[in-house]
Amino acid sequence: MPAYHSSFNETGDVRVINGIPLLPLASQVKGASYGSPIKYDAIDEALELFRPNSYFKNFEIKGNGDRLLIYVILFISQSLNKLKTTTTQSEAAKILHTLAVTNIVIPADAGFPLRSVYPQLNLADKMEGDQLRQYLQQVRLAVVQRLVPIVYSVNGQPSQTPSKWWLCFQKRHFMGKTMH
Amino acid sequence: MSQLPPVVIDNGTGYTKMGFAGNTDPQFVIPTVIGLPNQSRYGIASRRGIEDLDFHIGNEAVSNSKSYGLNYPIRHGQIDDWDHMERYWEQSIFKYMRCEPEDHYFLLTEPPLNAPENREQMAEIFFESFNVQGLYIAVQAVLALAASWTAKNSHQTLTGTVIDSGDGVTHVIPVAEGYVLGSSIKHIPIAGRDITAFVQQLLREHGESSIPPEDSLDVARKIKEQYSYTCHDMAKEFTKFDTDPVKYYKAFDAINSINQQSYRVDIGYERFLAPEVFFNPELVSSDFLTPLPEIVDNCIQVSPIDTRRGLYSNIVLSGGSTMFKDFGKRLQRDIKRIVDGRVQKSEELSGGRLQAKPIDVNVIAHKKQRHAVWFGGSIMACTDQFYQFSHTKAEYEEHGPSICRHNRVFESLA
Repeated sequence: MPAYHSSFNETGDVRVINGIPLLPLASQVKGASYGSPIKYDAIDEALELFRPNSYFKNFEIKGNGDRLLIYVILFISQSLNKLKTTTTQSEAAKILHTLAVTNIVIPADAGFPLRSVYPQLNLADKMEGDQLRQYLQQVRLAVVQRLVPIVYSVNGQPSQTPSKWWLCFQKRHFMGKTMH
Repeated sequence: MSQLPPVVIDNGTGYTKMGFAGNTDPQFVIPTVIGLPNQSRYGIASRRGIEDLDFHIGNEAVSNSKSYGLNYPIRHGQIDDWDHMERYWEQSIFKYMRCEPEDHYFLLTEPPLNAPENREQMAEIFFESFNVQGLYIAVQAVLALAASWTAKNSHQTLTGTVIDSGDGVTHVIPVAEGYVLGSSIKHIPIAGRDITAFVQQLLREHGESSIPPEDSLDVARKIKEQYSYTCHDMAKEFTKFDTDPVKYYKAFDAINSINQQSYRVDIGYERFLAPEVFFNPELVSSDFLTPLPEIVDNCIQVSPIDTRRGLYSNIVLSGGSTMFKDFGKRLQRDIKRIVDGRVQKSEELSGGRLQAKPIDVNVIAHKKQRHAVWFGGSIMACTDQFYQFSHTKAEYEEHGPSICRHNRVFESLA
């Protein structure tokens, strides 16, 4: 039983830029897919698969859903590494919000570790890159928004410090990669 | 004259299990290690002449390891140093079992694919050094099959696949009618030791800094043995931990071996990740990636075609690392999935013209898994056949050690 794959690999006519499908999000963050009626989206899935998949080094990309999954998992890992055992929830929200909106890496950028296995982006078309960046910013903000309350809860109760059952994934890297 | 019970000795790479036949558990389980005095100590004149008696075996050898050098006479299941092994047996019999070898039959075990010369050597030592009444050398995998006869859903046959997982290595051994199918044996370089190391690493990752470094391995081993279980699906198991944290997260109270202070260790995902290593070797290893169910399926597929149904229907677990809760169930489900997938595919390819008789996959778990080989030996040595099939002292003297090259297989319990 190898690593878990995305269930969004077969989602018909969604626009794809640089291998990333612009799937609608069940998000409260303003942006390209604001106010869509979806309950369970790719981010929920990624938050669920982050922990099991973090133990795997090999992953076969089966579709564009998987490409988005990899991106989100790498971003979650990057976010967790910004936290310390003493960081409070409000500090964490601030740090991670900053992380989400600054320096948004798209798969075509040099900072993305799996650049070579994603389809090339037509560099001449600057519009496409900007659209993807906008979409990913929305994704990253949504991840941070949902991740913080999960990490700051111990035994179902809100807690002052991050849960050690999430911080233990700081040293695990999905596919052995990290995003900078 | 009533017979004294036969002595059953199972010498494994790590531990030696020994006891009298008819018991359900071995009387002694000691490390297979012999401590011989360091060279420098032979200078003492008063000791001259009894150097050959100055050695320890088992736990005593380990605790005296400062003045006695440790030697492991068995490597990878095979006896490596016969001189050390002979002395090891000497103390096993006289110091541990405390019996007169002249009065007993002996049942010894050997790994699959053992050379007949090794059996001759064993016979020479037991008949000539110890003067035993009779000797039977059984294959470990066959004894493990016999041990499973006590399980409820057992078929009581000597055809089946044995999954033997101890501390160092895991073997998958197909046995047909009491004979090991040597060419189909598979090895997996993952066993108890790797799982303990994995648990240790996970404990470190969630920052259990209260564990003193010298106790770390021991704590990891205890957590593995006491709290682990096999899950259905890794991703779903994480969600279960989130929804019912009180039920799933555990705490382990331990005592520091040096200053005797107690401390508490939190246990989380290692509970189900430890046995998961067999089903996803990727968790611990970067070069060996084939899951156990796939190895078992492969092993049966390369066995002779007329034995395959029997091998699928009687998959037997043996060894301490197969003791995880629900390990058998998960293994059975995963093997069944592979087999059914293949049957379905061939039915599709035939265009619905061929209908295969479904293959029965059965994994048998029982209560004696930990010392299954010894327990199987204990059962076998209680049967009448044991005395018929053993080689006696008289036969040995008539024909020489070569008669022990072959040991007849037992037909059944009856």
